[in-house]
Amino acid sequence: MKVVVVGVGALGSHLVLFGRNWDVSFAVVDFDRVEHKNVLSQFHSKMGVGRNKAQAMQQAMQGLFGIRLEAVPHRLTADNVEALLSGAGLVVDCVDNAPTRQLIQDFVRKEGIPCLHGAVAADGSYARVMWDPIFAIDGGGEGQATCEDGEFLPFIAGVSSRMAGIVQQFLADGSQRSEHMHPGGVITL
Amino acid sequence: MTNPYDFGLRAYEARLNITWAGQNGDLTDAVPFDASDAELKAMAIEAVNGGSVTGLTPDRNMNLDGFVVDRFQATEGTPYNRIFVRPKTPFGSAIR
Repeated sequence: MKVVVVGVGALGSHLVLFGRNWDVSFAVVDFDRVEHKNVLSQFHSKMGVGRNKAQAMQQAMQGLFGIRLEAVPHRLTADNVEALLSGAGLVVDCVDNAPTRQLIQDFVRKEGIPCLHGAVAADGSYARVMWDPIFAIDGGGEGQATCEDGEFLPFIAGVSSRMAGIVQQFLADGSQRSEHMHPGGVITL
Repeated sequence: MTNPYDFGLRAYEARLNITWAGQNGDLTDAVPFDASDAELKAMAIEAVNGGSVTGLTPDRNMNLDGFVVDRFQATEGTPYNRIFVRPKTPFGSAIR
């Protein structure tokens, strides 16, 4: 099965790390570049600083684990969404803005592709990991201050780990478990 | 012993869950499933500051403006309606 991860920043980079044993072909989509501050809370290293995140992820997974993945160093847009997501057996949405989430959601609904969304509050106090049928897109992230000191890394990595477990269960039996998460625990929907 | 969370909810009621300042808890009483967002937020603030929500520390500065109210109808797995009052979650990628 082809698994397309859109956004390999805080959530997506760790999701790929934790999914490295899956019997799937990975494609990772991200137009952004690794910045110094990213290494505090994303699975990107100083060796990747300045490189495209998708390509840095590809190199890291190949070098550390011998895992090959397809890197797509482009922004997902209305013009390329079909080319980038068609053929996916699963799409994992780890992006940071509502318009791109909407593009993903519209396409997976039209094509009937399973899609898991990961979304985190700006203050690192709460996250949602939800399958598309029940995921509502939040706006409001634009221009908000975000943690730049890595304070939320344990929570973010925990959310990514739960996402990876949910995907693994989906790959095993097709089940779709959605969860609310906060630093003190998890609520399954 | 009676389970305080075994509400025996009716079809027009819901269990209300609140996330605030990294803490999370359920109201002990059922709420109307069709209450407005503003009514639900007011109930949440009153309950938290009254100290009746296990897991949430009373906070006189609690402010749920900008928070989202999600409503989920009962399913086979969760046989009662659920409402979540929660912060917005715009990020998946850009938290640095």
